[in-house]
Amino acid sequence: MNSRLRLVKDLLWFVALFGLVAGVFRIWFGLGATTNLSDAMPWGLWKVLNMIAGVALSTSGFTVGFLVYVLKLEQFKPLVKPAVLVAFLGYGCSCLALLFDIGLPQRFWHPFVMWNEHSFLFEVFWCVSLYFTVTAIELSPTILKRLGMEKLSAWLHRIAFGVVVVGISLSSLHHSSLGSLFLVTPLRLHPLWYSSFIPWFFIISAIGAGLMFIILVRIGYAYFFNPEPVFGKQAEAAAGEACQRSGVGNTSRSRTPGTEIKMLERLAIIAASILALYLLMKVIDLFSTGSISALLAGTWESWLFAFELFIAAILPVVVIAIPRTRRSPYGLGLAALSASLGLALNRVDVGIFGYFQDALVPYFPSLAEWAVSFAVVAAAALAFFVISENFPIFDDRWKRREESLGFFRYSFDRLSHVCNTVLTDSLQRRTIIAVFAIPLAWILLYPPYHQGSQAEYAIVPSTGLDPMRTVLLIDGNRDAIKTEFHHADHQKRLGGENSCSKCHHATMPNDHATPCSRCHRNMITATNIFDHEKHMSYLVKSEHLTGLHPTNRSCAFCHTKEQPKSAANAKECTECHKENMRIQEQLDEHLALASACSFQAAMHDRCITCHNREEAQHPDKNLSHCSNCHKSLQPSAGSAMQALRSARDVLAPK
Amino acid sequence: MHAILIDVTKCTGCELCGQACVDANGLDRDNANVDRVTSPDGLSANRLSAVVKVSEGHFAKKSCMHCLEPSCVSACLVGGITKRPDGPVVYDPSKCIGCRYCMLACPFHIPRYEWDERNPYMKKCAMCFSRIDSGKVPACVEACPNGALTFGERGALLEEAHKKIAEKPTLYQDHVWGEEEFGGTSVLYISDVDLEKLNWPRFEAASIPSLTVALIEKTPFIGLGVGSCLLGLSWIIKRRMQLASEKRREVDPELDSREGGAGK
Repeated sequence: MNSRLRLVKDLLWFVALFGLVAGVFRIWFGLGATTNLSDAMPWGLWKVLNMIAGVALSTSGFTVGFLVYVLKLEQFKPLVKPAVLVAFLGYGCSCLALLFDIGLPQRFWHPFVMWNEHSFLFEVFWCVSLYFTVTAIELSPTILKRLGMEKLSAWLHRIAFGVVVVGISLSSLHHSSLGSLFLVTPLRLHPLWYSSFIPWFFIISAIGAGLMFIILVRIGYAYFFNPEPVFGKQAEAAAGEACQRSGVGNTSRSRTPGTEIKMLERLAIIAASILALYLLMKVIDLFSTGSISALLAGTWESWLFAFELFIAAILPVVVIAIPRTRRSPYGLGLAALSASLGLALNRVDVGIFGYFQDALVPYFPSLAEWAVSFAVVAAAALAFFVISENFPIFDDRWKRREESLGFFRYSFDRLSHVCNTVLTDSLQRRTIIAVFAIPLAWILLYPPYHQGSQAEYAIVPSTGLDPMRTVLLIDGNRDAIKTEFHHADHQKRLGGENSCSKCHHATMPNDHATPCSRCHRNMITATNIFDHEKHMSYLVKSEHLTGLHPTNRSCAFCHTKEQPKSAANAKECTECHKENMRIQEQLDEHLALASACSFQAAMHDRCITCHNREEAQHPDKNLSHCSNCHKSLQPSAGSAMQALRSARDVLAPK
Repeated sequence: MHAILIDVTKCTGCELCGQACVDANGLDRDNANVDRVTSPDGLSANRLSAVVKVSEGHFAKKSCMHCLEPSCVSACLVGGITKRPDGPVVYDPSKCIGCRYCMLACPFHIPRYEWDERNPYMKKCAMCFSRIDSGKVPACVEACPNGALTFGERGALLEEAHKKIAEKPTLYQDHVWGEEEFGGTSVLYISDVDLEKLNWPRFEAASIPSLTVALIEKTPFIGLGVGSCLLGLSWIIKRRMQLASEKRREVDPELDSREGGAGK
């Protein structure tokens, strides 16, 4: 095993074990404690990136099958088994991530028995489940043959064509349906991504990028295990030297192309033409639906959309269109990587970023979400390595491996009394990784309740918290010192449940933070809460009254000619306040009755009643004495205002 | 079909409907779960009905609109949400798997989730269908002190709404929200201000399910069609290849032996 492969595997183990802890936390503590999902963003990373993008990248299972079994393009035959393996693992790890995502994973089987044929999600569920079975059947002959079950393998091989056809039909359904899932959100999804053609976009981009992904996997496998067929072999050193000596050719010519690079190149051309079709459709859609204006709006969404389209389609198509780059494994790899990432970004855009404008809150996945998301992918990658190393998927490497490393060999050789280091070595490494990964994950993820990550709300929803509003805490001047306001008490005194309009809406339209002084206007005497002065000055302004005493001319607007002028001979409020005083039938009492006691009486009533009551139990036996609040009544006291302020400090919650 | 008519001009925002809802549904009175509410409408798994300030001095009750063609019903993959023939859209928690597609599908952002539970369920207003069954009106309608909520037959309420608008054309906007939007709802609004804040946009299509129903009904035929096309295509290609190899064999009879009986 070479060192770079070992490093990659160690990293994958680390990620997988780290995510395992996150997954356990998710199951144990629940979705709310471990994820940043919310009512505004109900779908997050696991569903969009792992499920929707992961499944879309696994399309090679049916596309390569289509090329080889239906179109009989035998040249792509070496890719059939890898493609099926990628599909099997891709679907497997997507479904695994989904189990963490759904709220009640123990009920994952419900859609099998409880049907709603009108739901696209139902269709997706069934097709994905069936297709996962199909990939398992397609993969099983290879595995079974290796495990010695020749008969079963041969029988499965015979039905292979039928299975492939079923698989293609299922895939053509659910890859478009994954897009159709978003058809129900025409008002929530950003217009750049919402389109009635979204099922078409999804299936076409999935086919193109899925082919690109299998190219990437093939190149990746070659990079780690067997570079010869893809990267080519070094030409004879002597020949190279001879070329250099004679001055003909250059160093890049010293490599001969691999045997499979031609096939990959042809496959890339197919994939790139599909991606070009996708690009064309996207552009046509932009113009036909008018969302081109959204693209030119210059918002972050339009930049994201442009970037996504660039890496998903434009860059791969350009790289493949240039013969020089498409013939190099690195060019192919770049195009394939770009297309695969672009596809994933597209799904994330549609499923997450496109909803930000509607949700009004950004969603960023929590550490636990990232951990689980990467862990299932890492687990699939590890499974990929195990299967591709031990079974005839890509090449005959497994034979050599069996001879040299002895996968099924006893770990302890009885004859020589020597431990076989193959098994123990890797076990030891994994144990060390686990010793680091699991406690680290525990420390970073526990406690799983991450409070404070939610946004502060401008409007604190009071809905139902204290519907009766027994006591309100009013902070009128925003100095963080709140004053108790006995709302229920006021309500009772003003006439019970139907009295709301006396303070809200009717007498003080649109006033939500009424200061006490608005009603208790006079320090000593009870006052009418009708603001006569304000009405006079308003009339002067609105009616453009002039003269030496313009306010004197305003009387006639409300009062009749009877003398003396009083509330009895004034207009009803509702004659002018038509819009804001909407609860007309409740304004039965005359305004003269809407008076408030003096500020002194109000404050005294509020404080003294309680002080009197509490005095009996309180250690301070002078609790009801005036000097408790009015400090100025003591010999060495300050002003009366200071007294009130100190009284307020006593009331203010610490 | 039952419906609720909400007169926004009469709502003072006292939130007694919300309190009645909390009591009728047995919700937690103290815990509003507001930390998971990311749109400031006050709805959460513990608050199925809220009062939203639609503009300065104007309030409206917000809860499930009980659409005539509900998006959530068409979205739920296990059929856990159903539209009862008498109006309410009800949720059956025993079927739910927690996929939260209903939350994504609802154009009004109504369904809320019990994020803090280990076994979470979706929560939304069910128009107090058990109260309706026993001959009572929904708790919120009963609680409203100002007569802003009216419960009754949808047709009759629509008539009443239009009558009210005709009586006071200067006060009301000439529109009954919920009469046609999203295919019609069982919760109707009349108002003197625009209700866009309640997610009542001007929506052209008949209903959300109408966007998908035509497509989903074709699904089995698409699947079968693709399957049979593939079979046909592969048969044609196979046949052509066979013909081609036969032709080659005519030209070169020794081909068979050279290729090791590939043509058979």
